[in-house]
Amino acid sequence: MPSDGLTLAGSVRSVKAPLIRTFAGELPTAAAVVAVAGAMVAFWSDDIFTLNILATMFLFAGLASAWNVIGGFSGQFSLGHSVFFAVGAYTTANLYLKAGVSPWLGLLPAAALAAAVATLLSWPVFRLRGPFFAIATMAFTEVALALGNYWTSLTGGTRGLSIPFRLGWANMIFRDRLSYALLMLGFATLCLLVALAVRRSRLGYYLQAVRDNEGAAAAAGVSVLRVKLLGMAISAALTGVGGGLFLMQVRVADPAALLSVFDFGVKFALIALIGGLGTVYGPFLGALVVVPLEGWLRAELGGVLPGANLVVLSICLILVALFLKTGITGLFATIVRRMAR
Amino acid sequence: MAVHTGRRVAVIAALSLILGAGSPRAADLKIGVVNPYSGPMALYGDEMTRGYDIAVEQANAAGGVLGRKIVIVRASATSAQEGIAAVEQLVGRDKVDLLSGTYITAISNAASEAALNNGKLYWETNALSRDLTDRGLPNFARSGPDSTAFARRSVEGVIQLVIPKLGKKPGDVKVWIEHEDSSFGQSIAMEQMRLLKEAGVPVSEGSHSARSIDLSDSILRAKNAAPDIWLSTGYVIDHNLLLRTMREQNFKPAATILVGTGDTPETLQALGKDALDGILLVSYPRADIGESYGPKAGAFLAAYKAKYDRDPIAPQAMSAYVGMKILLSALADAKSTEYEPVIAAAAKMDKPLGTYETGYGVKFDKTMQNVRALPIIAQWQDGQVRAVFPKEALAPGGTLIDLARK
Amino acid sequence: MATLDFANVLAVGILLGGVYALVSVGLNLIFGVIRVVNFAQGAFVMLGMYGTYAFTAVFHLDPYLALPIVVPALFLLGAVVQRLLITPLRTEPAMQIFATFGLLLLLENLVLAATRGTAFSVVSPLASASIGVAGVQLSAVRLIALVAATIVAVALGAFLKRSMLGRAIRAVAQDRAAARLMGINADRIYMLTFGLGAALAGLAGCLLTPIYSLSPEIGTSFILPAFAVVVMGGLGSVLGAYAGGFIVGLTEAFAGFYVDPSLKYAVLFAVFIAVLIVRPSGLFGQLGAEEVGLRAE
Repeated sequence: MPSDGLTLAGSVRSVKAPLIRTFAGELPTAAAVVAVAGAMVAFWSDDIFTLNILATMFLFAGLASAWNVIGGFSGQFSLGHSVFFAVGAYTTANLYLKAGVSPWLGLLPAAALAAAVATLLSWPVFRLRGPFFAIATMAFTEVALALGNYWTSLTGGTRGLSIPFRLGWANMIFRDRLSYALLMLGFATLCLLVALAVRRSRLGYYLQAVRDNEGAAAAAGVSVLRVKLLGMAISAALTGVGGGLFLMQVRVADPAALLSVFDFGVKFALIALIGGLGTVYGPFLGALVVVPLEGWLRAELGGVLPGANLVVLSICLILVALFLKTGITGLFATIVRRMAR
Repeated sequence: MAVHTGRRVAVIAALSLILGAGSPRAADLKIGVVNPYSGPMALYGDEMTRGYDIAVEQANAAGGVLGRKIVIVRASATSAQEGIAAVEQLVGRDKVDLLSGTYITAISNAASEAALNNGKLYWETNALSRDLTDRGLPNFARSGPDSTAFARRSVEGVIQLVIPKLGKKPGDVKVWIEHEDSSFGQSIAMEQMRLLKEAGVPVSEGSHSARSIDLSDSILRAKNAAPDIWLSTGYVIDHNLLLRTMREQNFKPAATILVGTGDTPETLQALGKDALDGILLVSYPRADIGESYGPKAGAFLAAYKAKYDRDPIAPQAMSAYVGMKILLSALADAKSTEYEPVIAAAAKMDKPLGTYETGYGVKFDKTMQNVRALPIIAQWQDGQVRAVFPKEALAPGGTLIDLARK
Repeated sequence: MATLDFANVLAVGILLGGVYALVSVGLNLIFGVIRVVNFAQGAFVMLGMYGTYAFTAVFHLDPYLALPIVVPALFLLGAVVQRLLITPLRTEPAMQIFATFGLLLLLENLVLAATRGTAFSVVSPLASASIGVAGVQLSAVRLIALVAATIVAVALGAFLKRSMLGRAIRAVAQDRAAARLMGINADRIYMLTFGLGAALAGLAGCLLTPIYSLSPEIGTSFILPAFAVVVMGGLGSVLGAYAGGFIVGLTEAFAGFYVDPSLKYAVLFAVFIAVLIVRPSGLFGQLGAEEVGLRAE
């Protein structure tokens, strides 16, 4: 059974409390995590460089959390989440640019459309197992890329979309980095709460059952396809919201950037994996490690020798894969277990 | 509360700016450079920065700018998101005074916006897209040619150079415009089509992906249209593959023109000098350009060789070098590194074509695009790239050779 | 004219199919036996290319002569990767995929750092040769790749069907535990298989060098079509991977010429997804082959 990062607290509590953890029961832990994140923002509120890193970190923590709902809880290893990311981004952007809809409101249709697209696309491919499913999602990304480049009216084609710099809360465009950091923290909190709610709900148990043994789950009466689709829809909806937020922050994107396999598609999975696949707090720990590391390496080594920063990063990734097989949360769990002995 | 903290920060920043501006500073003048230093474009990012380094070295030898020594601080970015992070790093951590760059339009787009967020000047020397200046960012200026200039020069080449050489009239020749399908290729191709149609030249168009493993389809389609002139905009990898495929498929248009790339040793190595003979290139001015067109280009070449122990890899270096020189001039004129006075000073600059090593002059239009920055047309001749157009750019003794490829 | 067009496109498609088949045969072996989504397969092809370039730069000989050096070197690399990276992650398939991705990043960027991104090209006297047959141009280099792909497919098929080692590989692919009980050292077989898969990728890289200008990311241009080939052709079948190459090559050539060169990949992947949905075991694979393993035909 995958373990949460804060098992010690949980196991102490469970001695007295019932074995089944509820959503309400987890809330204090979640609040603590958010509080720590908020403290980080407060501590570095004057340092725009670090604030930018924090904003990116929270964004990816949320996106990895969203991916984790289908990828981790349910074991459907999707590498095509950048499609939903792009759908969310373009929906928000187009509503803002063409209909003047405030991005805050635009995030809702973004989530809905991303969920719809996800349901439509994954319906036929959910029967594929493991690596086949992953490859199919990558193929979807390729098709989406070609469509995105062609559909100029929606995406600006290869020249991309540009959101003009007009400051304002209603436009979700800020001059200061602090606002972005808080915005992304809000997003991460939303994803955390949804992930938690899913995990501690019936859907969450069904997802895990499907992951652990699809055949047995079906035999036990779980509607496998429905469960997978629901998980995917939730995951995609959150990813779409993240996409909308991302585009409003960066204000310029072309299809190749949004659908980049390395920058987004694989990275969501990567962060969740490093943090701890299928755990609730794993994606946060993963983002805490990966995002600053990547940024720091690029800052230090990026100008020195072409590719040097990525050489070091990839070595780190390989080492993590080899020695932290169950992610950071797995590492904590092992340490806790050893200490408890 | 967030809002109060923000205001407090702003007040402190403003005070320090006022106090700082008043006191005499011998602190280094830091220019942050955003470029791809890793990934596929690393070679060009590096090469451009070498041009900057030479300009800065020469300026420092002459006493620096505003009485301060100039220092270049690099930050690597291979995508728009990384561009923003690079700017945050340069401004927040390295405390640069202003920013420059950038080999790729998408990166420049995002980075210059981030620069505006931070109140810094973004001086573009190389990225091509027209959109960058059309945006109207108050902190942005481009010293080098834009995509329109490349398109215009290539069409001039077609009409003034190629068509007469072929002995025909504009209405009698067919042009096939090939381009890679990202913003680089598209922006140039669209302008080329517009200009050629205006001149009454029949045009067909084809596009391809720069990372395609096979471009036979693009060549077969072009071959079917039987054009007299094949005009292509693309990167090194796809241009090399296109040229090789043309050879394979026996596609020999009367004239071949490459825009943007195809003028480096990479293409020579791929095709061999015999296959390249006669091919025209629309590219940045080269270091071996005629003295009357680009004065002291030879001196730049010598400086490059002395510092790096080899010939320049790509002509982008000299264009970047000149761009940096223009920036340093503007800084001196403005007596400040803040973007408003620098942009205002740059807007007032007026130097004729032929002022700089690349043959550029300086005259910024309303969108802060330097309209006196123009590419040239060169030709592969016996394994060397020689400038052939405009006539003034011809090196002494240079001439236009036969256009047809063997 | 239209028939000549058709003939030309057909020729392009078949020759391209040969290229794809050559690149994918190694992937088919690895995917079929070890069940690893090897993201780094394209990087092995890239290393084969750069190795060939280095050989020609040092010895000034024809690039094809680099085969005896490049292929064994990549075999060794593959075996090492299997031993150090894939085997330890046997229990975590998700981490395995992610580890091969890390490997891809590493290899690409090592090459980038070493070459600073210059696009090298290898020249072979054959590179410019093309044969004209009834108005259709056939590139000599691609013909060689096609012939090589055929020889490799036949040889590999025979190896898997007839030799002891080949049978051992198929046994491990079908049922690891049973194979072990039969006295087969499964780990060593995996090393051999991965090494072989990497060696085949190196072979492809070497033979393709005269066609392309090298860049560190050239591998990624091949990897997704290669997966399409393996899956469409049929997992569990060497013949299927060979045929799959032609399916992909022809689809790409026809879509590129008759539809639009910019859309050919979209068409290809749409077809790929359709095949995956309708017949996930591939066109030549056995139904449910993704559970069974590698066949020798």
